[in-house]
Amino acid sequence: MQAGSNTDNITLRIAEIMIDELKLEDVTPETFDPDMDLVDEVGIDSMDLATVALVLRDEYAVRIDEDDYPKLTTIRLIATYIQDKLDSAAA
Amino acid sequence: MSHQRVEQPASGSASEPLQYKFADLIADPVVRDRWEQVRRYFFLRESTYDMTRRCNIRCNGCYYYEGEKQHAVENSDLEQWRRLMQAEKARGITFVVLAGAEPSLVPERCQVCFDEIPLGAIATNGLKRIPGEIGYRLHISVWGDDETSYRTRGAKEMLVRQTDNYRSDPRAIFVYTFTPDNIDQAETVTRLLAREGCQVTFNMFSAPVGYTGDLRHTPNSLSRTRQAMLDLMVRYPQTVVYSRYNAVAHTHRLGLHDLYGCSYPRRNPSTDVGLGRSFRQYRTDLGWDREAACCVPDTDCSDCRHYAAGSAVVTARLFRHATDPDTFRSWLDYVDTYLAVWVRDYPRGANLSQNLVSPPGFDLI
Repeated sequence: MQAGSNTDNITLRIAEIMIDELKLEDVTPETFDPDMDLVDEVGIDSMDLATVALVLRDEYAVRIDEDDYPKLTTIRLIATYIQDKLDSAAA
Repeated sequence: MSHQRVEQPASGSASEPLQYKFADLIADPVVRDRWEQVRRYFFLRESTYDMTRRCNIRCNGCYYYEGEKQHAVENSDLEQWRRLMQAEKARGITFVVLAGAEPSLVPERCQVCFDEIPLGAIATNGLKRIPGEIGYRLHISVWGDDETSYRTRGAKEMLVRQTDNYRSDPRAIFVYTFTPDNIDQAETVTRLLAREGCQVTFNMFSAPVGYTGDLRHTPNSLSRTRQAMLDLMVRYPQTVVYSRYNAVAHTHRLGLHDLYGCSYPRRNPSTDVGLGRSFRQYRTDLGWDREAACCVPDTDCSDCRHYAAGSAVVTARLFRHATDPDTFRSWLDYVDTYLAVWVRDYPRGANLSQNLVSPPGFDLI
């Protein structure tokens, strides 16, 4: 599988987790814009992000460092972050 | 007491071997229920407001009369206070803390705040009763027995007057601030409050910037305070609102910033997600200064062990505490305590952890 499609899968899964954990309404994983700003447009905060990070840690065994939260402003950026860590671990 | 250190993965590690998944940590139905209960309050977003420059007593080590904020010109226009609250609500603030110097002297301003943002707390010395229509949680400060209060605060029979005002008032919780001088008085005060049917939680004296008085804690007084807190929790379980992890976090040799990284703007230059982005500390002129904004401005950050600071700082460190069952339970106890202290009618549960757990990455003391 190509890295790009892996990242797409991760992106979709993050959207699913966010919708489920944060009980977001009026959006589905398929319609969740991966480039939407999570803070300014979706309205999540650091505790929401920590909650999602814990579920992602379970799923991918990847730690999202608290210091990195500020730069993870979209689902796509989180997916790329996870993919990069998975690639580093596999290398 | 047995204690297991938890190794923290290095920052930036590619992946981590998981000893416990988060799903494991919340697998116990009791823990899961508590997690679900506390997370319902993750919507709380706080800011704090100095209400007036006036106070009816003068206390040794008072934070309000340190620094520049005491010189702000007081705004008494209720419509401007109302507009401020409306603007705060519009930018996402859901919880207000009314403080400095003594909010009970300006109940009409407190009422305006309550009308616009109904979740919040008022820090008061308790000598003048705040009208019942103002439904905020009330934090009534206690700095020792009446003899000590008279010596350090210049007011006679404070406990009698405070309990006369607030016994049986569901809004009220007494906040006993431990100094090196009043540790041995905490039992007497707690017993009295228990007899009156009051609740009490604990605070730690934290030195204001430049403070040269004798109330700054020492390693010995921190250790004695921790033991006193733990003893009082056991002796007065219906009265004391506290957890073992609260005691550890607030009596550690290191202050809260060193242990957890303070997330208030004064120590957090970030303008991104979280408190660093949303928190403001307004002065009586309704202005605020990002460089000075924290829950108790003009505290010496290296000595900060304030209960108010910990309520935000420790609580925000969810990820660090999701390492093993006992650390996570301890964090849940801390959050449960925080919500019980700050949110009126919050249904607090029994503490989940019976152990002393160290702050992640640090020793117990």
